[in-house]
Amino acid sequence: MTGPGRSGLAGAFTVAGVLFLWGPLLVVVLFSLHSTAALSFPFRGFSLRWYEEIFSSAEVRSAAENSVIVATVTAATTLLLGTLAAYGLTRTSSRARGPLALLFFLPITLPGLFIGTALLVAFARVEVTLSLATVAAAHLVYVFPFFFLIARAALDRLDPALEEAAADLGAGRWLVFRRVTLPQVWPVLVGAACLAFALSFDEFVITFFVIGPDSTLPMFIWSTLRRTIDPSINAISTLLLLFTLLLFVVTFALTSWSERRRRGSAEPLVVPALKDAP
Amino acid sequence: MSGEPRVRLEGVSHRFGDVAALRDIELDVADGELLTLLGPSGCGKTTLLRIVAGFERPTTGRVLLAGEDVTDRPAHRRATNMVFQRSTLFPHLDVFGNVAFGLRVAGVPRAEQEERVREALRLVSLEGYEHRRSHELSGGQMQRIALARALVNRPQVLLLDEPLAALDLKIRLDMEAELRRVHRETGATFLYVTHDQREAMALSDRIVVMNAGAVEQVGTPAEVYGRPASTFAARFVGDANVLPVDVLDVSGDDVSVSLAERRRQVTCAGARGGPAWLVLRPEAVQVERLAREAGAEALTGIVRDVAFRGTGFQYRIAVDALEAELKAEAPASSPELAVDERVTVNWTPSACWLLPRDDDARAPGGPLATREETPA
Repeated sequence: MTGPGRSGLAGAFTVAGVLFLWGPLLVVVLFSLHSTAALSFPFRGFSLRWYEEIFSSAEVRSAAENSVIVATVTAATTLLLGTLAAYGLTRTSSRARGPLALLFFLPITLPGLFIGTALLVAFARVEVTLSLATVAAAHLVYVFPFFFLIARAALDRLDPALEEAAADLGAGRWLVFRRVTLPQVWPVLVGAACLAFALSFDEFVITFFVIGPDSTLPMFIWSTLRRTIDPSINAISTLLLLFTLLLFVVTFALTSWSERRRRGSAEPLVVPALKDAP
Repeated sequence: MSGEPRVRLEGVSHRFGDVAALRDIELDVADGELLTLLGPSGCGKTTLLRIVAGFERPTTGRVLLAGEDVTDRPAHRRATNMVFQRSTLFPHLDVFGNVAFGLRVAGVPRAEQEERVREALRLVSLEGYEHRRSHELSGGQMQRIALARALVNRPQVLLLDEPLAALDLKIRLDMEAELRRVHRETGATFLYVTHDQREAMALSDRIVVMNAGAVEQVGTPAEVYGRPASTFAARFVGDANVLPVDVLDVSGDDVSVSLAERRRQVTCAGARGGPAWLVLRPEAVQVERLAREAGAEALTGIVRDVAFRGTGFQYRIAVDALEAELKAEAPASSPELAVDERVTVNWTPSACWLLPRDDDARAPGGPLATREETPA
C-alpha cells in the first residue's frame, strides 16, 4: 500500500522531473516571444518581433528550404528503400534473413560522430563534392534503421494467410503487394517516413561533417550562436521544435490508427443484432 | 458427372526436408462431387489440398485439373479457389471488395462484378451485406463470405481447408447444412479437408481416409463406416471396438470366429481363415442385465461407465474374458443400467466387420482403444 506521504513524495519527484525535462524548453519558447533582446529574466513583455525578423531573413529562408529539401529527399528515399528491404526480409525464407536484418538496423547504434567522420572520409576518397546531396545520403544512413525497424514490425504482424488468399484469388506478386499488403501497412509506412523526415530535419552532428557551402536550419542556428545570441535563435528553435513535434504526432497518429484498424479485424466484434442468422 | 475427373492426382509425393508428408497419392475427384480428405492432424491432408491449390509443389507426381497438367503452375494461375480455416477476409476491404477481389484481378467489368457478387451473396444467404466490414461479421458470416469470395470466380474445384473448425458447434451444424445446400445449388466440385469424422460423414459424397501421408481407404460414408479397410479407418470413422479374433470357418458371407475361446457368428464378405480383427460398432453391441444363469458361451462383464446422450445411453463394459473395455450404445427406451451392474454382451452378426490381422500385430493404441468423437 502506498501511504499519502509516499505518494506526496513521488508526486514531488514527478513534478521535479517534468520541470527538469520541459523547463529549459519552456524558457526557450518564452524568450522567443520576448519584447527585448535580453535572454534572461526579468521578462519585459510579449512581442512577435523575433518571428518577424526570421521570416524576413533571406538566410533563414534559404536554410529552411535546404532543410526541407534534404529531409524530403531523405524521407522519400528511406520510404522506398526501407519498404523494399523490410518487405523482402519478412517474405523470404532465406537463411540470410536474420543476418541481413541485423545489418539493416545495426547502424542505429552508431554514434552520429562516427557516421559523420566515416562518410566524410568516404566522400573524400571517392572525390564526391560535398553538397546537400551528400547530406541527404548521410541522413539516409542515419534514419534508415529507424524506418526499417518500424516497417519490419508492421509487415511481420500481417497475416501471411491474407497474401496467400489473394494469390489464390488470382493475384500475382505485384498485385498481392499493391492490393493487399500495402493497403494494410501504408499508414505505418507513411508515419515512419514522417519520423525519418523529422530526424533528418533537425539533424546536426552528421550534417556538420558532410555539408558543403550550403546551410540547413540546425547549421544556421549553430553558426549564428557562434557570433551573437539573441531571441531570433529562440524563435527558430521554437518553430523547429513545433514542426518536429507535429511530425511525431502525425507518426504516432498514423501508426496507432493502423493498429486499431488491425485489431478491429483480428478480434471480430460480434454485434448482437448481426449475430449469425441473416 | 462427365467421364473426365475434375481433379486427378498421379503419384503425388511430398517431402518437407527429411519428412515424408505424402506418399504416392493417386486420387480422382469426379465432376460435381463433394470429396472429403479425412484424417488426424499431420496426416498430410492439408498439404495435399495446398498442392492442388498450387501453394506447394509436390516433390514428385502430377496434378491435373480437368485433364490439364497444372503441376508447375503457381496458385494465382490455377482455376482453384480456397476457403481457409481462419478468416482470411481482407480487413481493409468491405464485403463487396472481398467478394469481388478475384473478379477485379481478372479484369471483369464493374457491372458484371456487381451482378456476380450479388448472386454469390444470395447463394450464401447474405444479400445486402456488400458494405459491411469484416469486423462487423460473426465467425459464421465471415466463412460464408469467404465461400462467396471463392465461388464467385466459378473455380474448377473449390478447396475447403477445415472451414468450420474455428466455429462453435451450433453454428458449425448450421454451416454444414448451408454447405450441402450450396453444393447442391451450384453443382460445383468441392474438395474438403477435415479431421472431424462426423462432419465428413454428414457432408461427403465420398471420403478419403488418410493416415501418415497415405490413403487408407476411399469410399462413400456408408462404405467407410460399414466396411472399413483398416483398423485405423474403423477407429477414425465413427466409434469402434476392435477385437482380436481367429476365423474358424468361412461359408460364403457367414463366418465363425473364436473370441476369448467362445464361438461367435459374423457376417462379412471375403473373410479368410486365421487371425483377424473384429470391428464392432458400439450401436451393434447389445447389453443386457445378467440373467441368473449365463451359459459358458456367454460374454459377461460389468458396467464401468454410463453416459446419457439424449438419443440413448453410452456404456463402457469391462468384459471378463477380455482384458479391456467394450463400448456400447443402447437406445433411450432401453432400461438404464447402473455402474457396477453385471451384464451380458452380444451383437447382431450382420453389424460386424472383419479385417485381416498379422499374427502378432497389435492395433495401434491397444486392441480396444477407440477414438475420441472429435480428435484434436
